Amino acid sequence: MAAYQARLKQFEDVLKEEVIDSKNLRKLCFNGCPFECGYRSVCWKLLLNYLPCKRCEWDDFLSKQRKLYTHFIDEMIVKPGLDASTGTHQDDHPLNPNPNSNWGTFFKDNEMLLQIDKDCRRLCPDLFFFQKATDYPCKDIIHADSRVETLRKRVEQCVLQSETIKVDRKGNYNKVLSRRKVSEEYMVLPDGHEAHWEVVERILFIYSKLNPGQGYVQGMNEIVGPLYYCFAADPIKECRENAEADSFFCFMNLMSEIRDLFIKTLDADSQCGIGYMMQHFSDMLQSSDQRLYQRIEELNIKPQFYAFRWLTLLLSQEFPLPDVMRIWDSLFADDRRFHFLKCICCAMLIEVRDEIIQGDFPHVMKLIQNVQDKVDLQKLFQLSVIYRRAFGLIAILNGERK
Amino acid sequence: MAKKTYDLLFKLLLIGDSGVGKTCLLFRFSDDAFNTTFISTIGIDFKIKTVELGGKKIKLQIWDTAGQERFHTITTSYYRGAMGIMLVYDITNHKTFENITKWLRNIDEHANEDVEKMILGNKCDMDSKRQVSKDRGDAISREHGVPFLETSAKANVNVEKAFMDLAQAILNKTPGREMEPRQGVDMTTKKQSSGGCC
Repeated sequence: MAAYQARLKQFEDVLKEEVIDSKNLRKLCFNGCPFECGYRSVCWKLLLNYLPCKRCEWDDFLSKQRKLYTHFIDEMIVKPGLDASTGTHQDDHPLNPNPNSNWGTFFKDNEMLLQIDKDCRRLCPDLFFFQKATDYPCKDIIHADSRVETLRKRVEQCVLQSETIKVDRKGNYNKVLSRRKVSEEYMVLPDGHEAHWEVVERILFIYSKLNPGQGYVQGMNEIVGPLYYCFAADPIKECRENAEADSFFCFMNLMSEIRDLFIKTLDADSQCGIGYMMQHFSDMLQSSDQRLYQRIEELNIKPQFYAFRWLTLLLSQEFPLPDVMRIWDSLFADDRRFHFLKCICCAMLIEVRDEIIQGDFPHVMKLIQNVQDKVDLQKLFQLSVIYRRAFGLIAILNGERK
Repeated sequence: MAKKTYDLLFKLLLIGDSGVGKTCLLFRFSDDAFNTTFISTIGIDFKIKTVELGGKKIKLQIWDTAGQERFHTITTSYYRGAMGIMLVYDITNHKTFENITKWLRNIDEHANEDVEKMILGNKCDMDSKRQVSKDRGDAISREHGVPFLETSAKANVNVEKAFMDLAQAILNKTPGREMEPRQGVDMTTKKQSSGGCC
């Protein structure tokens, strides 16, 4: 306990400096950020280059960014929603064939939104959090007399009710009651409330509107999810209140570092993209455990079968959320960002190497798709750190680093 | 030498738009359970189930793919090795049905010519939200000469049958490599088993 208190004190000291020493901060965060006092949220915002290093700039910066985000919502959701419902543009109407018409854009957006909606509704299903109502919904949208449709409602499908009529032998018409209760697949909150997943949906919608070239790609929900959870479940009220805007910008910064992994045209690129990352990971595995690497090759288990998901999602689908957050502490604190991710991935395989070497294809496939059941996170970290050091040495020997 | 626990190995692939229920179908078939809250599949997933068909133990290796366009470069590489492909749409979403032609084209481009196909209209328990009639499913099935079934992973309708029919179709044209000349006898038992479960 005393050791933990001492650790909290260390965070307090680093974070109260007028100018945050990022080197110290990284070192401290690499071994895990405490949830207490909202340290994790602050650290992530710093490590993701959202918060400036100078403490005195924080307040101005945050209020500026949060205003900007409100402006985005207004521009991309509220206004188009109002125009659509009131039809202010007389020359524009739902059947307008012009692709640049407001209605055209509205319909195109809905297609993307449909995908985002599907994925957000199934975000972290084993956690009740995302289904719960947020205490800080977007007032402009859910306000009782607001005419703006929520994003969820925009893509909810409505179906005309129909009944089947059957004619019996005597020629009488009978209604066949085929109507069943509409299945309540997702719990929908009453008007005036907004679930956390709807907030995440809005973040992704705005992100994809701002990045039309890339748009929304499945898996981005798994990247923004832990960020939003961190801020929206923070012990400090001010952090929870602004979780939406802050996680939007942190997500944007994080995506700027990993966006190549989500771009299809870069899959086969030799300099960046997921193909390159998987190749690099494979090389690292080979140099750390030749026998294991060979066995995986023999079994014809390609990195696409497992490392694709591990790397693009920063392991967010492999572990329970609290563990993911602990892993991300280290990933964000790593100055050679996402190099350490590959070290963890190597360690994950090496942890179960004996089983891989003895197993056949289906056994090994099952094993490495559910590695979290087999490895102890603490041990995994120790191993990953050792590999990181070893890879660093190899790199020095090869003259890659000064 | 390890003892072989099966006679034949069939590789199957599930494709279709995102959210049509591919993972749920597979989960129903392999674990006989249903879960509405599946996370979205990223890249490719994998399950194994051993079944008995025509007196043979057949190991089904089933690959479950991500639906979104972005993952096609990753997932199309699996088409080549697949012996059977399930094309899944959602009867409560007409768009996913219209895309079936697109998925069929994908198969033509990337899969083996003699790959067995099957079209599934999933979520048939949700009749009140239906957007695609069964007739339209039948029509596309006739047009492309691909067997078609309406399924529900949730209510467990036709899921087992779908996988077994597809496996049967593959078995029917598997040359007797690992079979003894008793093939004729096997064929009749097969006929019976596939005909009886409609």
